[in-house]
Amino acid sequence: MRSGPQAADGEIVRAVLAGDRESYARLVERYRDRYARYAARMLGSADAAEDALQDAFVRAYDQLAQCKDPDNFIGWFFLILRNRCFAERRRNRTSASLEAANDVAADDRTDGGAESAERRRALQVALMELTPDQREVFVLKHVEGLSYTEIAERLSTSVPSLKMRMHRAYDTLRELLRDHT
Amino acid sequence: MSGHDFHPLVKQLLDGDITLADLPSELRVEGEAALRLLAAVDRTEISMPAVTWRVMATLERRRRRFLPWLLAPALAIAAALVILLRPTAPAPTAALVTVRFVLVAPDAKQVSLAGTFNQWDAHVTPLVRTGATGVWTATLTLPAGQHQYAFVVDGVRWVPDPGAPAVDDGFGRRNSVLTL
Repeated sequence: MRSGPQAADGEIVRAVLAGDRESYARLVERYRDRYARYAARMLGSADAAEDALQDAFVRAYDQLAQCKDPDNFIGWFFLILRNRCFAERRRNRTSASLEAANDVAADDRTDGGAESAERRRALQVALMELTPDQREVFVLKHVEGLSYTEIAERLSTSVPSLKMRMHRAYDTLRELLRDHT
Repeated sequence: MSGHDFHPLVKQLLDGDITLADLPSELRVEGEAALRLLAAVDRTEISMPAVTWRVMATLERRRRRFLPWLLAPALAIAAALVILLRPTAPAPTAALVTVRFVLVAPDAKQVSLAGTFNQWDAHVTPLVRTGATGVWTATLTLPAGQHQYAFVVDGVRWVPDPGAPAVDDGFGRRNSVLTL
């Protein structure tokens, strides 16, 4: 059983579970970049994000039989990646801010505007000072461009609860970025 | 609300529920500062092409490592028989042999070797492309004996060496065999 190049996620998941392991590469190819930015902003480092994505995809492969809705593979995978990012942040709380600054600084070389680059770098460092819950809602809304309703569906929570986290995040960021706004 | 907190209306502005024009004039400066904060958000797309081959290489390496465990009981019996039947003699030091591996793969972006000599790890033994002809080579020094291996093209495609004999790996794939 082999799935075609335009196969739906559910079709690929079923093919992999039936023994067509190589079809899994198509799912990885399809979704690896969609959440690369989320992982990088959550972890403050592109290298850590790449490791997290790899681990999450391997874990998803191991647990594929537990994916209750194969047609929504990506929603299920996102939760695995999210858990991985939260666990990583618990392990490496201290080094991430510096890495975050370095990662953004590397971008500055190819993008003009020293002042805006400095502001961007400062914001990324400040994001790492938020709690993971606050950072996540900020990243999903203001980096990934999701609405509160979409975020609530993805994280199985309520819009008021998300707004409360976000509004605390705004206040913390304002305090941390007093010299940059 | 502390002195450093944004006004609730400014938070609504940041949430996108209202615009700057909706703010009372005394909150405009605070609103503009808040929007400058959001303007600094880095939304640059990030691409991580290496993730695909890293994931698939991990799965492949694990699968190949699993095989010896399946064969372990049979190999243990065979090894015991060899030890029992073998005349006692000092063990010879394993000789080392230098071997050059070659694969023609003009469309490949990267090629590596995975085999019994590197625990089927597709990351540690890359081949080097020589010139623009698509010939990839690696030179290794290996102990004399039999080795099984495969080329890993672009991290996802495991191909046997077209110039070497191959055996079934027990899972429907072919491993190349090198006897030194």
